[in-house]
Amino acid sequence: MVVVDYELRKKVMDAHIHDALKYCYQCARCTDVCPVAKVTDQRYNPRPVIMNSFLGLNTFMGEKDNFSLWGCTICDTCDEVCPQKIELTEIFTVLKNMSIARGEGPDYYTTQASTIYDTGKAIPMQPAIERRRKDLGLPVIEPPDADEVKKLLNETKLNKILKK
Amino acid sequence: MAKTEEYKMFQGCTIGNRIPFLEASARKVFDKLGIKTSEAPFACCPDPVGFNSTDHLSWLAMGARNLTIAEDEGKDIISLCNGCFQTLKLVNKELIHDEHEKEKINAILKTIGREFKGTINVKHFVEVLYDIGADKIKENVVKELAGLKVACHTGCHYNRPSEIVQTDDPMKPIKLRGVVKATGAVPVDYEEEMLCCGAGVGNTEEEPAMQILNNKITSAMNAGAEAFIVNCPACFQQFDTNQKKAEKIAGKNFGIPVLYVTELLALAFGEKPDDLGLKFHRVRLSALLEKHGLS
Ligand code: SF4
Ligand code: SF4
Repeated sequence: MVVVDYELRKKVMDAHIHDALKYCYQCARCTDVCPVAKVTDQRYNPRPVIMNSFLGLNTFMGEKDNFSLWGCTICDTCDEVCPQKIELTEIFTVLKNMSIARGEGPDYYTTQASTIYDTGKAIPMQPAIERRRKDLGLPVIEPPDADEVKKLLNETKLNKILKK
Repeated sequence: MAKTEEYKMFQGCTIGNRIPFLEASARKVFDKLGIKTSEAPFACCPDPVGFNSTDHLSWLAMGARNLTIAEDEGKDIISLCNGCFQTLKLVNKELIHDEHEKEKINAILKTIGREFKGTINVKHFVEVLYDIGADKIKENVVKELAGLKVACHTGCHYNRPSEIVQTDDPMKPIKLRGVVKATGAVPVDYEEEMLCCGAGVGNTEEEPAMQILNNKITSAMNAGAEAFIVNCPACFQQFDTNQKKAEKIAGKNFGIPVLYVTELLALAFGEKPDDLGLKFHRVRLSALLEKHGLS
């Protein structure tokens, strides 16, 4: 049975581009230019993501790493070609944020966010790289104020999302 | 907007903390061309692919915090990475144009004693090189790279969404090509020039990412390219570090070298491959350098 996911529908309708969504006429220009749709036989396909999110049909969640959502390589090409000027990737971001908040989504994302939360950087400095920088005549990278970053990310409630 | 005599350098996590040899070439080229930069304790930009997909609000707040660090000094940011550039540019524009969003983010920033004002600009280094002009670049060329055929790859986040970012022509970017041509090298036309490097989907599944990379490399090599020229460390890693994996899927060897555009410029300016750390590339450059008298 097809049911409307009210939380999803509310989130999508709260997104500032929600108005544009109703003008999607399913022309599939987005699918035509999508590099992932091309190499996966449309196992990933942006067109139905737009349709289903507008209707509130949550076909993207309930399993980890759902490819019909997380298959997007975020090249933003669909945004460029959509004749209705729909910023598709903004809707994808809303959906992905929801998926992560449910504890789904590829580990890559939460692992990276966790490193940023802990250190302020996605890739913390290593002694070997510090030495290499010196050998190449590069200046020392001033480390960020990690406590301040953590405080900020507690304020945005990232700690709750990451269960920190 | 700040009128910058000196930029705040934003090399980003990948270049600064993983593949710093790209920064070495950029600094040498900036010095020669008179582009002044200084350091600041920036945090992660944060990543427009990873972190924004995880939590949009946290992405906005952290991007805004970095911008306030440059605002404190009244200096524009120069980014060496497409990802950092896109994040900082988008956050800056969004907060400048959306008063409601700015208030929301400033309420969050207040807890750490900061305020976003929207007084500086964010530049991609290719824009800056292009604006300096081909003549100035040519003045510094001591080894003309005439005859070197290259495939230019600007990468997606350099200019998308183009309506907001406005770095270059959306479907036919000219700036990277312009900079490359000033060295005497010849950018080839290839069908997949606008195709993504495929890095993003690689965080979910490797195979589609490698298939995209395979399509990209095949198209460039069919057009006669001897090397890729890139302006983003994520694209660089995809083409260079991951080329072996794409070869596995393709069932053949590509062996096509990858140069950061500032590495190409530095070589043309007479810098030694050793001083640029070219030995840290995965795909060997020796044959290419020898052929064009650069070793
Ligand atoms: S290109 Fe735009 S209008 Fe066409 S199907 Fe995709 S989202 Fe809808
Ligand atoms: S942004 Fe995602 S959906 Fe759009 S074209 Fe790129 S991979 Fe496809």
